[in-house]
Amino acid sequence: MKLSAPLTVNWTLSYACNFSCRHCYSREIEKSELSLEENFAVVDALAGARVAFVNFGGGEPLLYPHLYAVTKHASESGLKVTMNSNGWLIDEEAAAKCAEAGFRSVGISIDGAEAATHDGFRDRPGSYARAHRALKNLCGAGVPTTVSAVIFKRNVKSYREIVSQAADSGAGTVYLHNFKCSGRGMENREELDLSPQEWRDFYEDALAWRDEAPCALAFDDPVIALLGEESSAAVKGSTCGKLSLHLEPDGDATPCGFIPLTLGNILTDGLEKIWNDSEVLHQMRNKEATGKCVGCSVYGECLGGCTARALATTGSFNAPDPHCWKE
Amino acid sequence: MKKLSRNPDLVWRDEPAEREGIVKALEGGDESAAERGWVIIIDKGSMHQLNLLAGEIWLLLDGTLDEYEVAKNLASRYDAPIEEIIEDVREFIADCEKKGWLA
Repeated sequence: MKLSAPLTVNWTLSYACNFSCRHCYSREIEKSELSLEENFAVVDALAGARVAFVNFGGGEPLLYPHLYAVTKHASESGLKVTMNSNGWLIDEEAAAKCAEAGFRSVGISIDGAEAATHDGFRDRPGSYARAHRALKNLCGAGVPTTVSAVIFKRNVKSYREIVSQAADSGAGTVYLHNFKCSGRGMENREELDLSPQEWRDFYEDALAWRDEAPCALAFDDPVIALLGEESSAAVKGSTCGKLSLHLEPDGDATPCGFIPLTLGNILTDGLEKIWNDSEVLHQMRNKEATGKCVGCSVYGECLGGCTARALATTGSFNAPDPHCWKE
Repeated sequence: MKKLSRNPDLVWRDEPAEREGIVKALEGGDESAAERGWVIIIDKGSMHQLNLLAGEIWLLLDGTLDEYEVAKNLASRYDAPIEEIIEDVREFIADCEKKGWLA
């Protein structure tokens, strides 16, 4: 089914951040920010196109001065609003404001089962404790929470503990994110990223454990189709550009946060034109098998895996995902 | 009879252009088009697509019609006997109830 508009818009209101993470895709990006009125106009455009979900990322969304006002306007316009935060600034007062603004849920990034791993990865001493404190504050304010954990070399053996701790702090779902090779993630890839075989071992273990895990587990990696895992998204391969779109702080649209290709600006070009006419999105929606994907029995399920990772490492949308373990 | 309403917590969206394509394909003799999705429902993190008839029923579940009235509405629009449509309506409604998609 071809959608008339994205179902989800991942929206970076600001690239400003109080952390300096080893894998960050956006730390070196500088973009001007829209005014509050302009962001209200963006919300109106999204609601008008019947976008269902808006997820604020970044950057750290809580550093954007009008976060609650934009959220309130979006939720009152019928959009289901969520956010991914590092949690540093979510004290009891901020948690109450999140509830009042209408956040449907808030995701907190936690990448280690102990402070040394998380704080080292995030380059911010004390951040592990404050991330768990944020979860508890949000639970106290009645805001459903999730946890986002980026799997990398130093936490892959302890991911079950990350999940258990997240559940203890009230998270309903833990997203076990695959490693993206964008920005610093590309610079530090050799040190942080797993080998294709290690990804396979991790996914096999996590899928086998899923039903016993203390909270729901979610995966967003198209490569997982290689293990016979059916996509919950009703589309094959990457969902970027098929179900979702990313907005930058100045209103520029990119297929996803990890693909730095500007498709147009939502305020000057309009969402409909970007979504329907972009040549980049057309290519992403109509990938062609190349290299080892040619003739592969599961290509129809994974469509070459993560397009962002293929592009970052080879310069081609159609190249095989470097995480793919198939020979 | 109970008036039927969609669960207001459920996120869903219809795609009228897709519906138009399905109808055109059916008119052109492609009967398999009736199974193509044109309404999306997002439930517990999973996406579900409703085919032509299920989507038509779904859009009528606005709290003003009961099961029989939904079937009657569709029978009149599609110029089909209500006896044929009511079974499909009942089956879909039962499935929706099972999934918690109704209020």
